[in-house]
Amino acid sequence: MDKGGSRPNWDSPMQFVLACVSYAVGLGNVWRFPYLCQMHGGGGFMIPYLFMLLVEGVPLFCLELAIGQKMRLGSIGAWTAISPYLGGVGLASVMASLYLCLYYNIINGWSFWYLFHSFQSELPWAECPLNANLTGPLEECEKATATQYFFYRETLNISSSIEENGGVHTGQALCLLLAWIVTYLFIVRGVKSTGKVVYFTATFPYVVLIIYLIRGVTLHGAINGVKYMFTPKMEQLANPTTWINAATQIFFSLGLGFGSLIAFASYNEYNNNFERQAVIVSFINSGTSIFASIVTFAIYGFKATVNYENCLERVRLLLLNAFNLAEDTINMDNIFEWMERLNQTHPQQFAELDLGNCDLTQELDKAVEGPGLAFIVYSEAIKNMPLSQLWSVLYFFMLLLLGMGSMLGNITAITTPLRDFKIFSSVSVEVLNGLVCLFCMLLGLGFTTTSGNYWFTMFNDYGATFSLLFVVLIEVITVSYIYGIKRFEKDIEDMIGHRPNWYWKIMWAGISPILLIALFIFYIANYIMGGTPTYMAWNKDLVRPTFFSFYNNYCIHTFYFKLVQMGISTFTQRSWKKGEMVVPPFFHH
Amino acid sequence: MLEKVLFLLCLTPALAQEPCFPGSSHAYKVRISIKTALGNQAYVWNDNEMYLFRAAMAFALRSYHNGQEFNVSNIMVCNETPRVSFWFVVSSPENSSVLLKKGDVENAIRKSRNRINGAFLLTDQTLEFIDIPPTLAAPVMPVTPPWLIVFGVVMGAVGAGIIFLLVSSLVQSKRKKNKKTLDEDREDMRGIENGLGCDNLGGVYNTTFSDGDKFTPM
Repeated sequence: MDKGGSRPNWDSPMQFVLACVSYAVGLGNVWRFPYLCQMHGGGGFMIPYLFMLLVEGVPLFCLELAIGQKMRLGSIGAWTAISPYLGGVGLASVMASLYLCLYYNIINGWSFWYLFHSFQSELPWAECPLNANLTGPLEECEKATATQYFFYRETLNISSSIEENGGVHTGQALCLLLAWIVTYLFIVRGVKSTGKVVYFTATFPYVVLIIYLIRGVTLHGAINGVKYMFTPKMEQLANPTTWINAATQIFFSLGLGFGSLIAFASYNEYNNNFERQAVIVSFINSGTSIFASIVTFAIYGFKATVNYENCLERVRLLLLNAFNLAEDTINMDNIFEWMERLNQTHPQQFAELDLGNCDLTQELDKAVEGPGLAFIVYSEAIKNMPLSQLWSVLYFFMLLLLGMGSMLGNITAITTPLRDFKIFSSVSVEVLNGLVCLFCMLLGLGFTTTSGNYWFTMFNDYGATFSLLFVVLIEVITVSYIYGIKRFEKDIEDMIGHRPNWYWKIMWAGISPILLIALFIFYIANYIMGGTPTYMAWNKDLVRPTFFSFYNNYCIHTFYFKLVQMGISTFTQRSWKKGEMVVPPFFHH
Repeated sequence: MLEKVLFLLCLTPALAQEPCFPGSSHAYKVRISIKTALGNQAYVWNDNEMYLFRAAMAFALRSYHNGQEFNVSNIMVCNETPRVSFWFVVSSPENSSVLLKKGDVENAIRKSRNRINGAFLLTDQTLEFIDIPPTLAAPVMPVTPPWLIVFGVVMGAVGAGIIFLLVSSLVQSKRKKNKKTLDEDREDMRGIENGLGCDNLGGVYNTTFSDGDKFTPM
């Protein structure tokens, strides 16, 4: 363990804090938290969320920072230093980060793709492209919406199932290449580069969020969405899933267990006050989630109102055309009276009309999470705003910065432990980082094939959950009981000058491990009882017009047990010292 | 046989009197939405406008069938509604009891669609011929897709940035190497150091670890 000056350092504690913020505040704050908020009772979700933050998030975050700062090594080295038998924990973290790096930059590739396509006079996802005869829109696009078509067909060129492979999508591959080159540019000299970049990647997203907040609340109908979000449904608090989702969201949003925090902290000055910084970063992260969900709900409200009004307009036209009434007889104010009247006077003809159901609450209830929210729902809302190109550019640039900021942490989590090994320390920083980036990029090209999005979903949903929980559980039990809480206290006092108070000790030794064990048991139970894992597929030639799914369009459920089995078995691996099973990780932050 | 002849005889005059009826195999339905298209500047639909419509149809048919002189009287309109929708049929200029086939009428309309729309200040969506699909404007495809241009610019900038950083760090490390060889000559004179090993520091050793239990007992 070197305590000397040969290890690079952050130029200032501010850089370290911004790096942690940049890492923790990622896409999950924008696309997972609003969904959870909506699912679990709006404003009421704050209670379990803040509770879990205090009980689980802040203590574990602080723990990882302490370890990194104390040991001044990456995750493998740090855990080996605590106990040689626990090197596997570090290795598991590195594997987790490696899996994450493979597929996370694909999202950045998509952000680049959308960003570049925003520089057109008409946004390509605003209108359906025409068919070969130029008589109308393409059939696939007409059945879905233009934004969905753009995402699934033009961006991904998705196949019908995971078994059907196709070639690499050139545009995607180029965007992925660019994403990796930008990542390399940000980390090329290790902490020296990263430290300067995080000033921008951590702060600019907030500028965009504020701009969007102002734009969002001034949009027509936005208030419906915000009201919907903040009306708490307290009965959701009685549902255990609410608390579990709050716990997992905090856990994954802070990026615990990947080794990135240990890596970042290892470049700190020995006497840096990480305790205060841990609290600050955790609260900034949660605050950003709440802030982003206000913006998201304003956008939802706008989109729902626009859809509702379009629906009413469609009904109005249908009524006018079917009953041959003059154009100005029915307008938005009297449409419902007219519907009643026509139903009474011409019941049979009225019944034959396919009016559909225009319901604002139903529109607001459509909850979406994940890439679907970021790339489909948001782009649909943006195309309806005036000056849509500007908003589009701003939005996708923000997504890009959020994603890149998180990538910095992920890559650093791999390169830092590698540099600690003697064989790699002779290789220059630039070359090592370049090799890691190149390796990840080449493997990541697999996600740009036509079935790539299904692989992405598999990695995203099943690639990591257990492992991270397990890793962090082992971490906290090790530090509290194997290393000893007393020794740890002394180390902290040595570093920051005072012992951690009773709050930290109770959390580390008692409450957090119990909570993690409970989460872990829940996940195992869910996995066993869940049966075969499933995924949603996009089927473009479904002849029958029935829509049955989540994306509100023609998707099919397909079971792919064999592949997931294969996947799970590749994901487990043994620690290099003892026969411990350390199971790999996931992303959610 | 006789009944059939009588039936046909009775039917023909009936047809001749009512060539235009909704659902006829020769008739097209037209739907006009003036207020949707023009809002405040909408004009009122009256007989004059209808005359203009019939004239526009005659024009379309004349341009399509070169030589045949269609007149306004060849265009018959029926079933006008307040919606402003109606049906029309076209009879041949030579023989007014013979109605033109739908296919011919459709082709004529499609050929002159823009002119007909222009006469009424409407568009394909507001002047609808039911069952005649509009011919939409072909999308303008630039030679290089615009996104590729932006991509190229960004890629170039980033590439230049990386090359600059790599070259500058190479130059820096070369400079350091030269400086180091110079320093090594003056090493003995200096008491203070940088970049040398910890052994020469003589600083304070952190005794926290060196209690003896360096490794955690399992």
